[in-house]
Amino acid sequence: MTQIHVVTGDNRHLYGDGLQQYFRLRHDIFVEERGWKDLYRPDRLEIDRYDNEHAVYLLAIDRERVVGGQRLYPTLLPHMISDVFPHMAGRGIPRASDVFEWTRYFVVRERRTGRTDCRLLAAIQEFCLDEGITELTAVVEMWWLPRWQQAGFKVRPLGLPTMVEGQPCIAAAIRISQESLDHVRRLAGLRGASLVRSGRLSPILDRVPHVAA
Amino acid sequence: MSDRNFDHATEAFEFIEKLDELATPQDVIDAMESSFSLFGFENFIITGLPNPRERFDQVVVLKKWPAGWFDIYAKEDYVRVDPIIRLCRNTVQPFEWTEAPFDRVSEPRAAEVMDRATDFRMRQGFCLPIHGINGYEACLSMSGVDLDLSSRTKPALHLMTMYVFERARQLLSPGIHRGSDLLTPRERETLLWAAAGKSAADTGDILGITERTVTAHIVSACQKLDATNKTQAVARALQYRLINL
Repeated sequence: MTQIHVVTGDNRHLYGDGLQQYFRLRHDIFVEERGWKDLYRPDRLEIDRYDNEHAVYLLAIDRERVVGGQRLYPTLLPHMISDVFPHMAGRGIPRASDVFEWTRYFVVRERRTGRTDCRLLAAIQEFCLDEGITELTAVVEMWWLPRWQQAGFKVRPLGLPTMVEGQPCIAAAIRISQESLDHVRRLAGLRGASLVRSGRLSPILDRVPHVAA
Repeated sequence: MSDRNFDHATEAFEFIEKLDELATPQDVIDAMESSFSLFGFENFIITGLPNPRERFDQVVVLKKWPAGWFDIYAKEDYVRVDPIIRLCRNTVQPFEWTEAPFDRVSEPRAAEVMDRATDFRMRQGFCLPIHGINGYEACLSMSGVDLDLSSRTKPALHLMTMYVFERARQLLSPGIHRGSDLLTPRERETLLWAAAGKSAADTGDILGITERTVTAHIVSACQKLDATNKTQAVARALQYRLINL
């Protein structure tokens, strides 16, 4: 059965193989399938500057096989929207200790018809509620918006759609709420908490460096 | 940023922010009418894409269409031949009507629907396909005779149409997940493995259920899809995006 594992700087030593699979899948999906050629790496592991001790991963793992993943990163640190896509957030870039950027979301090809998407979407709401994160920011292809909305996510655009890698994309902020979590769980018939936390994990907000934005 | 561009952005964000206050379908139609007319749109429709067993009028969410045109469109069952609807099934990007291909010679019915629409001041159009979760498919299509469609207006329209679609869906479409309602997760899963070339016995091993149960799911999917056998069920499920390879 698929479960969503929380991986942070505290417990990543327990997930050596899982993270290796995860970075490999990111290369398969973002570079090879979606054609983001700038991310190409000869070792076929898609790892960027935000894959550091501040990153949090929620990995969908089914019997030791990674089938999906997503990453969170503190917005108080330089992050993708502030570094790469500030022009997409004409209405302002939300930056606060309880606002995280949500990136590198994927589900492996053969799981895209099932409940894995809903599991990952439920997991992100559940994790943020547990940790006191109130809002996420993300750059996403426009066609994803209705999927988020149908999953019950409250999405506020930060700017107009802009072409990225030939696709209309948008920078958006997603409000975290129990209501959204309940909605997506109902949609997928998921019952109760589903996050797996292995090892000793310190609260995420305590890990955010206290730097001025 | 030019003034004009700024206006489009402002219009789009203001439009989106007031959507939550709209309480009835008529409120949504009124809001669309006043905002989209700024871009030259006179008519619009929000509709689900019907599967083979559904009629067009069963899947329409809301519309402001010229009197007479809806009756003709429904009576002629144009939804099965409309090139706009066809392109909606095959793209996730918004498009202008002129971008929806068809062949006047080999597809006279497609030419007919496009030609007859112009009799109702539906000369130019802009369409946003929606591909939701669990295979839900829909679109928002708008038209007029003199549209302000440019690289500057289209991003604003893209955003506005996406949000108003969602508001209309919330208000009017309680059976929101048509795809998932049509097929159960197990039915989709067994068809998916069939599409991957697996026998019922293989699929049973993979899913940890008996071959007999796999066959029962597939038979049930065949009935729901009006398919005479597994191959046709797979083809239909793919066509209607109930499964994706």
